[in-house]
Amino acid sequence: MANISTRFFGLDLKSPVIAASSSMTGHAEQVIKLAEAGAGAIVLKSIFEEEIFHELQEELSLRTPLNSDPEYLDYFDYVIKEETIRKYLHLISEVKAKTAVPIVASINCVSSSDWTLFARKIEEAGADALELNMFIAPSDISKTSENNEQFYLETIERVLQAVRIPVTIKISHYFSNLSAIVKKLSGTGIAGITIFNRFYSPDIDIHSETIVVADVLSTSHDYLLPLKWTGILSGQMKIDLSATSGIHTAETAVKFLLSGASAVQIASVIYHEGPSAITRMNQGISDWMDQKGYKSISEFQGSLSQAATSAQAWERTQFMKYFGEKTY
Amino acid sequence: MSTNKEYLQIEREKEWRVELRKTIANKERTAKERVRMPEMDPQERIKYQDREVNIGLSADQAQGEATRCLDCANPTCIEGCPVSINIPKFVKYIEAGKFLDAAKTLKETSALPAVCGRVCPQEKQCEATCFYTQKMKKDPVAIGHLERFAADYERESGFMSVPEVAPANGIKIAAIGSGPASLSFAGDMIKLGYDVTVFEALHEIGGVLKYGIPEFRLPNKIVDVELDNLQKMGVKFVRNFIVGKTASFDDLKEEGFEAFFVASGAGLPRFMNIPGENYNGILSSNEYLTRVNLMNAAKDEFDTPVIKGKTVAVIGGGNTAMDSVRTAKRLGAERAIIIYRRSRAEMPARVEEVHHAEEEGIEFLNLANPVEYFADEKGKVNRVRVQRMGLGEPDASGRRRPIVLEGSEYDIPVDLVVVAVGVSPNPLIPSEVKELKVSKWGTIEVTEETMQSSIPEMFAGGDIVRGGATVILAMGDGRKAAANMDEYLQNKHKAN
Repeated sequence: MANISTRFFGLDLKSPVIAASSSMTGHAEQVIKLAEAGAGAIVLKSIFEEEIFHELQEELSLRTPLNSDPEYLDYFDYVIKEETIRKYLHLISEVKAKTAVPIVASINCVSSSDWTLFARKIEEAGADALELNMFIAPSDISKTSENNEQFYLETIERVLQAVRIPVTIKISHYFSNLSAIVKKLSGTGIAGITIFNRFYSPDIDIHSETIVVADVLSTSHDYLLPLKWTGILSGQMKIDLSATSGIHTAETAVKFLLSGASAVQIASVIYHEGPSAITRMNQGISDWMDQKGYKSISEFQGSLSQAATSAQAWERTQFMKYFGEKTY
Repeated sequence: MSTNKEYLQIEREKEWRVELRKTIANKERTAKERVRMPEMDPQERIKYQDREVNIGLSADQAQGEATRCLDCANPTCIEGCPVSINIPKFVKYIEAGKFLDAAKTLKETSALPAVCGRVCPQEKQCEATCFYTQKMKKDPVAIGHLERFAADYERESGFMSVPEVAPANGIKIAAIGSGPASLSFAGDMIKLGYDVTVFEALHEIGGVLKYGIPEFRLPNKIVDVELDNLQKMGVKFVRNFIVGKTASFDDLKEEGFEAFFVASGAGLPRFMNIPGENYNGILSSNEYLTRVNLMNAAKDEFDTPVIKGKTVAVIGGGNTAMDSVRTAKRLGAERAIIIYRRSRAEMPARVEEVHHAEEEGIEFLNLANPVEYFADEKGKVNRVRVQRMGLGEPDASGRRRPIVLEGSEYDIPVDLVVVAVGVSPNPLIPSEVKELKVSKWGTIEVTEETMQSSIPEMFAGGDIVRGGATVILAMGDGRKAAANMDEYLQNKHKAN
């Protein structure tokens, strides 16, 4: 088997296939199974500050009929937060005791002070790295693009001041100039960037004429957007990249490595197939490397990035020529 | 004592009530302004930890206020009272000048009238459902002030009545904790003829009434009089006894206790878990108030002092925060500051308490929240970093939710911080009794109608069930538990 080791999260990984943050990485026994299947690293299920807020709402609704003293509930979000963090820290220590595979914690908050606090505790619990699952849905018209970008930069600065473990971020593609912000982010001292967050998407049921939840899992075609941006970004700046969304096969993983990614993060395919998807992809990457005569990932990583090939192939924005030649 | 409609109607139609109603026309009654509670001067009162702010109504003031009550045919005020005091009856006794009868009426359903008259949020309960509030949009009858007047009058008269108790039935029952829920429960059960023992973990009986509420709001001697009354009725109090440690429930059952009322309260302080919160000089409101209220920490001659900060920050906006910050002022703080993350409109504290705090020179730093503490080289807190907050949409409690304003932090020098952000249920009994059904937050789950837990002979009420309860709601739980435990035990004995 070829040497498929790589480096991401500022860590040496035995495989470029990382188990992305998902509900499957929220339980110790499942995390161990993913490690045994050969994951290069495992990103634990994110702590979502939004979930804490929703749990608070449930508790407030539950306590209202009991006429609980409002003083009891006034700061109840702190109680929920404490309990959430306590469980998360327990998960980190539990899996760290059972596997040598790097364990990456992941947090998703809406305020920078909480990011800092959570990050410190996560480091103390023994996580090998921290992924900041950062996104601001850019739908607030009162905020400028600059405001939003500033939030990312300030939060990273605070977290980096608070911890010594490597910190990476996972971002969305909702930026007015993605390359420019990634350049800024790569200068902050973070150990890597993962593109892109997968958002909740609403859909419409035309029969009931209601808003419904779109499929939450990726399809094998979803990889094209992160692939394009991996190709563009990987040569533009010195920062390790990993990609996620629609990476279901070893072939797709290889495409990302060729475009310059150091690793890929997978989730949907594990939901479909179980942890064996990781073993299958590791084997597939190794087989391809053997077939091509590559001994290590560094021999071909980024060989098809924009920097290494032509700018036009990666940056063309329209299909005029392609469709101009089509006839029906 | 029943408070059903039929009974209330019979009481209302008694000749003295009918005649009293005729003495003043309703128009004249409703034209009167609500009485104002006389208060001690703010600059004078902040010199004393143990002098009450509210002085109490004079007999003339009380009678004048009582005449405002219309003695309604449908007394909605009672619906707002968790212990169902026959409010029109006691108020009318005051109008008639029969103050001792008024006090006796209170004791029919309340074990702690002098306490309730001082600390109950009447503005949210009986006074909120008063005819004046609901229909006339005017200030309600000052039911709380009148309750206090009647109870105080009786105590000071030297003619304290002891409610009648039924002949002893020989059934031993226990109440765990000695706060308002337990005392109310004990009062009702002793009246029904049970052999009642109240177990208290601390050296003083009274629970939160003693350790939690400062003497300037509720003097300990007032609580002691009510406790003495219960003792005269036959309730036994056992101090320094931790059920679950000193003796288990099984031990108590072996001693013949047939049922238990768990009202062990919410004595577990909460913190915010922010950086620096473990520095010296940062303590919970529980510790701060208990040291001052119960352990005489404010007095130099005692061995358990408390830090007397010059600049004291109290975190929170509830009554406990107000009690803490006003205590700090009385202990000599030059600046005593409330730091609260919402605005004044969302504060859970009683309006009266906030008003008193303002009169006493307490500073209110609203829409601000601590995010970190800093200390000197000895580890003693010297600064708090606060973050400005805004208000978002209302949450499920109906209050606007605090929103962080990023990048708005600034520091305030402090030398004492009291964290008053709520308390959690006492974990001892839920952890001791494994088969007891408990919520994920440590409250005991009970059937709402009966207050009976998953263990049939175990009932529960107050903070250990609600998480947090006002004194009067806790007392209501005690009464409900008593009625249902009585039914449970009577059925059990009949079956045997």
